[in-house]
Amino acid sequence: MTKLVIQKIFVILDKQDKKQLERLCRTLSGLFSHVNLTSNLYLIADNLTEGMPQVERFQKEVSAFLRANLFARLYLHFVHHAPSGTVRGMSFYFQYYYQIWKQAAREFDQEGYMHQEIPRLMLLPVLVPDNRAEPTSLTALLTALKSAFFLPSLYLNRETFFLAGNDDLLARTEKVYWGHGKTGDKAQIVCDLCYQDILDDTSARLEPDPASMTDPCPAALIISARDGMVYACMDAFLKKKRLGNIHGALDPDTLMARYSEYANSQRDCLACRERVVGSFSALPLPEATTHEVGDLLYHFGTLHQEAENHIIAIERYEKSLKLSPVEEAGPIHFRLGLSYTTTGRYDEALESFSRAELTYKDQYYFHFYTGLCCFEKGEYRAALEKLSKAIQMKPKKEDLVRILIYMGTCYNSLEDYEQALIHLERAKEKTSNVKEIYNAIGFSCFQLKDYDKAIENLRIAVELDPHSAVDYASLGANYREKGDTNLAIAMYEKALALDPSIASARENLERLKNKP
Amino acid sequence: MNVLLIEINPFAPASPPISLGYIAAFLKSKGFQVKILTLGEDTSVSTAGLKDIITNFQPALVGLSAYQRTMLYIMGLARLIKSINSNIKIAIGGPQATFMPSAGFAQLHDIDYISRSSGEVTLLCIARAIEKETPFSDLSGVSYKNADGVIRDTDDIEGFTDLDCYPSPYLNDVFDYSRMGEAIMLTSRGCPHHCKYCYTPYAFKHKVTFHSIDRVIEEIKWIRKKGVRRLWFADPNISYKWTRFQNLLDRILTDGLESEIWLQTRADLVNPELMKKMRLAGVRTIAFGLESASERVLPRLDKHLSIEKVAEAIRLAQSEDIEVELFTIFGLPYETFEDAVKTLEFVKKNKVKIMGNTNSQQMQIYFGTHMARHYEDYNILPLNTKRPAYLSIGCQYETSYMSAKDIARIQDLWRAHSLDRGRRIVS
Repeated sequence: MTKLVIQKIFVILDKQDKKQLERLCRTLSGLFSHVNLTSNLYLIADNLTEGMPQVERFQKEVSAFLRANLFARLYLHFVHHAPSGTVRGMSFYFQYYYQIWKQAAREFDQEGYMHQEIPRLMLLPVLVPDNRAEPTSLTALLTALKSAFFLPSLYLNRETFFLAGNDDLLARTEKVYWGHGKTGDKAQIVCDLCYQDILDDTSARLEPDPASMTDPCPAALIISARDGMVYACMDAFLKKKRLGNIHGALDPDTLMARYSEYANSQRDCLACRERVVGSFSALPLPEATTHEVGDLLYHFGTLHQEAENHIIAIERYEKSLKLSPVEEAGPIHFRLGLSYTTTGRYDEALESFSRAELTYKDQYYFHFYTGLCCFEKGEYRAALEKLSKAIQMKPKKEDLVRILIYMGTCYNSLEDYEQALIHLERAKEKTSNVKEIYNAIGFSCFQLKDYDKAIENLRIAVELDPHSAVDYASLGANYREKGDTNLAIAMYEKALALDPSIASARENLERLKNKP
Repeated sequence: MNVLLIEINPFAPASPPISLGYIAAFLKSKGFQVKILTLGEDTSVSTAGLKDIITNFQPALVGLSAYQRTMLYIMGLARLIKSINSNIKIAIGGPQATFMPSAGFAQLHDIDYISRSSGEVTLLCIARAIEKETPFSDLSGVSYKNADGVIRDTDDIEGFTDLDCYPSPYLNDVFDYSRMGEAIMLTSRGCPHHCKYCYTPYAFKHKVTFHSIDRVIEEIKWIRKKGVRRLWFADPNISYKWTRFQNLLDRILTDGLESEIWLQTRADLVNPELMKKMRLAGVRTIAFGLESASERVLPRLDKHLSIEKVAEAIRLAQSEDIEVELFTIFGLPYETFEDAVKTLEFVKKNKVKIMGNTNSQQMQIYFGTHMARHYEDYNILPLNTKRPAYLSIGCQYETSYMSAKDIARIQDLWRAHSLDRGRRIVS
């Protein structure tokens, strides 16, 4: 499918003269041939009474489109402030507004009944209650709407989250949109609806194909009726990047051509998705949505970790932990531990690893990383204990070598040079091209006064890495101890040529040169 | 000459339309250019995009798969196609078309043909007639409307009894593999049984035809080469011929073709040895048809299967760690509300997860079924006598034993027990 397809259109309604309204209707009508076979139209109004006449006018365009295209379906969402009042008052609104609205869609209900299918035009009122909303009245209205085959939804923001605690209300609600702000400002509502869409879309991609998160979110247009401005997505709306002005006679085909251009431009959709997901982390959402956000934050954490952005990864993991169910926390703790390790926060890393132990205790790499943290902290005995456990679990060859080197180095630090040599020689059997093995063997042998063996290994070390100043300095020390002053001087000089900051090499060199 | 084949279902994600795939491969082998268009709930396409596809491809014939629930969408597409070029001929085929009465055809103004016999051979007949510019001559297995709009029925035409005579849609790369998560395969067609509610036995005249095991294995190898590792065997009863199915599993195992497999069969066509082999070959899910767990109802459906046998098959599969799906139906003839509850209880008792295909559905009375032809004998009372003639009774009925309200109640009850709000995969 090469042609660009619009999935959703958001129209922010406002007071308009007849001419402007007709122009907007013509634009929408023209855009319908570019919408998906199943699409969504959101009409965002201030309130029911002012918005309904415009909604009815738009619905005529929708009906004409659906009548002409029997394969098309459309969900019409009318977002408006919930009418306030008593239960009896709600009955008035239901009778004089919603029922009349429903009657205008009757032909599609009948068509659906005849064809034993869901009607092609679905009406979805989205109620925006304020903080004085009376749950009983609201429940009565939702009940009436449901009984008339509407699919009512609620938009709740910081001022009205308390309504989410009302089970009766939620049982009658098709969907809850979660708002970030406090007011029922229409621009904020549009953003929140888009936020929710992006969250849902991102979440839906997580399981089957997380790589697709770099794709743009479902194509949407935002139209402001007040000034006729059209925006290509939520990000463009927030940044006020306009596609054009429909009041300035922008026809739908030109609009779509500009939209295509925008859609093909370079955008960081992944960053936008991440920003949106992050914005939900501070909202008092229901448990399932909170877990969803937690999962996504964990995923974004892994992306940052793989890109070596450990500081951001840590932040995502820490947030994810607060939102994810306890039984899923193991991998988050483990990943967090890895990023703490990489950033040198070993105590926190060990704490995180200990929380991941139940999930990972059978994995050799878990014990390797905990051992690594202990090593970095200078707790060599504890490190040896963990690394030994890792070895017993049959690690991969490349990891086995790393573990053996760390163990050898631990033993060196504990001045148990024989044990160090046993582990380092084992590492050498597995691979012959890791400089660190020869360097450490050189150190052990030097301590055991086996200078020839030390020299033999350090020679290999500098062959593998001719720029290793430390290994040349170690060679110098071994030759010095053997009494081979000329070679010792030559090695110290080479070390200092590569790295003049090695103080011990300089001191030894001077001492040897001044030796009578 | 170009032929466009379309499958539309806005209520389910798009999947490879295997029947259209066979027709496409067959027509291609006869020299036609064929394109398949699948329009599912996850397909992104606009009216303008559809117009572009038709205008650019310029088909002389469009074939549409027709199902009861998509008839409106079929009509819409046909109208769009004719508005672009009224010379394009349009044929419908599939479950809703095979036995659709002429009165229904008469109401489908933009449809020129109904394919009533095997899709491959009838579509070839139509395509050749159009190519010769005599679109209504030498036709078989179809009903058509002539230039004056008069409906004519032609004689039946038999498809091949050896399914290998049909070129493979997979081996001929009819489908786009890049977005294919799962390959739908048919190793056999038809069903010999006489279940009163079912369309398949009547459509296939109670005969079963097969592909050779070699051909199936060749397809699996090709599909795997294309990166697809999940197989969905759509045969009504894949283990109908026991030894053949065993051979297929053996070949999968010896050729190292183990894949994640979904399949369906009758509960009396499995045994412990077969189940073990299925598990080894990669069968993750097996679906059985139970229909009803009421001893009053099940025997009257002519399914000839005992409830105990189904329970035994479930246990067998579960003991091999194979997920079980159970097809069940409510609103059956003679079924009371209490009978329907028994079916739900049976599913719960046997620890089959109520989700996906295990979500029960109301019996659908489709054209061609025994039930559709004799509904009055079963005390079935259609609720909508004014429905269009191209639609069968479907689910708009109540029975002497269950009112529409009772049927809605049992549907709600199933939904309340469902883990996924009652969404089925296979309809």
